[in-house]
Amino acid sequence: MSVNNSVAVDVRNLVKLFGSFKALDGLSFQVNEGEVFGLIGPNGAGKTTALRILATLLLPTKGSVKVFGYDVTSQAADVRRIIGYLAEDAGAYRNLSGLEYLSIMARVYFHSKDKALEAVNRAVDISGLGGRIHDKIKTYSKGMKRRLQIARVFMLKPKLAILDEPTAGLDVVHASYIRRLIKEYASRYGVTVIMSSHNMFEVEYICDRVALINKGRIVAEGTPDQLKTFWNASNLEEVFIKVVDIE
Amino acid sequence: MSSLLPLIEKEIKDLLRDPRIYIGLLAPVLIMPIIGLAISAAMQSSIETISREGVKVAVIDLDGTPTSREFMDFIRSLGLNVSESSLLEVEDTIEELKGSDTRVLMVVPNGFESNITSFRRAQVDVFFIIKSMGLSSIGAFSVVESVLNAYSRALVESFISSKSPEVNPEEVLNPLTTISHTVVKDRILKISPSVLFNQFFMSSGIIVPVVLMLVSISVAQIAATATAVENEEKTLETLLTLPISRYSILMGKLVGSAVVAMFGTILFIVGLIVYFQSIFSLPIMAGEDLTISLELPTASFESYVMLFVSLLIAIFFATSLGVIIGALSSDVRISGSLVGFVQIPIMVPMFLVIYGDARSLPLALQLFIYALPPSYPMLIAQSMFFSELPFEAILGIPYSAAFTVFLVYLTSKLLVPEKLLSLQHKLLMRRMKSKTMP
Repeated sequence: MSVNNSVAVDVRNLVKLFGSFKALDGLSFQVNEGEVFGLIGPNGAGKTTALRILATLLLPTKGSVKVFGYDVTSQAADVRRIIGYLAEDAGAYRNLSGLEYLSIMARVYFHSKDKALEAVNRAVDISGLGGRIHDKIKTYSKGMKRRLQIARVFMLKPKLAILDEPTAGLDVVHASYIRRLIKEYASRYGVTVIMSSHNMFEVEYICDRVALINKGRIVAEGTPDQLKTFWNASNLEEVFIKVVDIE
Repeated sequence: MSSLLPLIEKEIKDLLRDPRIYIGLLAPVLIMPIIGLAISAAMQSSIETISREGVKVAVIDLDGTPTSREFMDFIRSLGLNVSESSLLEVEDTIEELKGSDTRVLMVVPNGFESNITSFRRAQVDVFFIIKSMGLSSIGAFSVVESVLNAYSRALVESFISSKSPEVNPEEVLNPLTTISHTVVKDRILKISPSVLFNQFFMSSGIIVPVVLMLVSISVAQIAATATAVENEEKTLETLLTLPISRYSILMGKLVGSAVVAMFGTILFIVGLIVYFQSIFSLPIMAGEDLTISLELPTASFESYVMLFVSLLIAIFFATSLGVIIGALSSDVRISGSLVGFVQIPIMVPMFLVIYGDARSLPLALQLFIYALPPSYPMLIAQSMFFSELPFEAILGIPYSAAFTVFLVYLTSKLLVPEKLLSLQHKLLMRRMKSKTMP
């Protein structure tokens, strides 16, 4: 995977308050262009909040967040033009076919018909749904829906793909299929990916670099190998437990 | 605009294919004709039964005179199936009749003939035995009343003819012929105001406001459900990260929901027309009043344009309210329970407009009506056939347009997850608190 040293995502001292609850507490990290970056941590650690801020859905309370140089608060429209976002458990319009859904999303994104059609063909290929792409989405399994959503994100060839728990709730076969899709298409289209996950093994497999997040703060950061070596652990799960224990 | 069209397409396709929506849209067009045909068939069968068998009447003739027998012959000649009771006591006869299909008992008391021949008021006691409140029972009772009225009239005519053979009894009975005219706008109609009112009340007075109300409510419900589904399925979250304005997302939803609601309204009107046609095709219902519709005044082209524009504004207003409700609801269940609030600003003005002249209402109620855009199509529909449109209705168009644009603007501002999530959270907390309160 080609990773440039230019910064794709720059998060500095990010704080997010929901009333009196501090979801993010001075979060800082950088993601380089072309990198697959993983945010891992337990439930309530602040992963989804951080990704929603990156996706311009939430506003930071304090701190600065830039995506390819665009500020997510003051240049949100510019950020939206270069990102593809997959929410955790994101659904699609149940009564549309997979193909109709992709076509509508492509037409919203691309104003040229040819570009939209090209994107849809690309997505049909990525999803691997074959003839089922013509069926209504309500007939899809959870895994098929997630493949459709991943296809929707990558058909746009976004500069940054933001994936919140892309394999959560999937069976082993589908989860493995989704991981391969992310790895393959991020590399093929040169897409920078930032994803969150509970699954340490998944992150180790897909991500070039990871950040361990707990209680709204980064508690460790590096490549999976660097972290395992530093913490003298055989996998990221052990790393995480050691880091959290020290915390 | 290029981003808006796929959003509208998405909205319409997703809604029209949703069983929760299309079953609701198709229900009136299927159910109302079935109800109409069922009522029509029941009435037809009752009419046929009555005309085939005649209404069975038992008579206790306590007078036993030629006049009382003439009375029985008269009512028999008008189609009643008369049988003389063998019992002389009313209670015993009623008890006996309860087991039969005779539903009417007439008692001709002593002195019937002497009263009639001496020009005093005679009496006949009629007992209607109710076994059900079905159409055939009610039809039978009205037939009996008509026959008795006919006997009474025949007696009067006979008295007049016997006293003054040269006089036409009809002219004595109706010495004054009234020809009613009703002036509407610049036309003079040869019908009475009451007939005109009945016509109007059934058309633009009742049906139009009811249809307008149903359109407004259904559009609000559709928009609320569609938006709540977006929240529930997290598709709104995806939409909000696309490079399109919040305004386009909102307009897609408003236009999509409005188109689906209009389609539903057309189906509803078709169902309503078939329903009324089934009912009014019956001979007893197809009275003279219903044939005068051609004489009714017509409204001007400008009035129709105003009605259309005000209706469009009202629909956008109701849709925006629906979107707000849907956006604040994290799922369809919550939106379903909140959407009832949207019906208040739609139903209350409708009832006030139908049952009262807006100008004669107390000032507070007038202000309430004029403040709400859904009132204006109703006000216009009510006056467009009879007079010039009231100035408040004309002024109301730009006012309600401005109000609705403001509401649409506010709604688009609400479509920011930061606000939505915190408002949804607050609503959820409030609901949880109210549930845990003893």
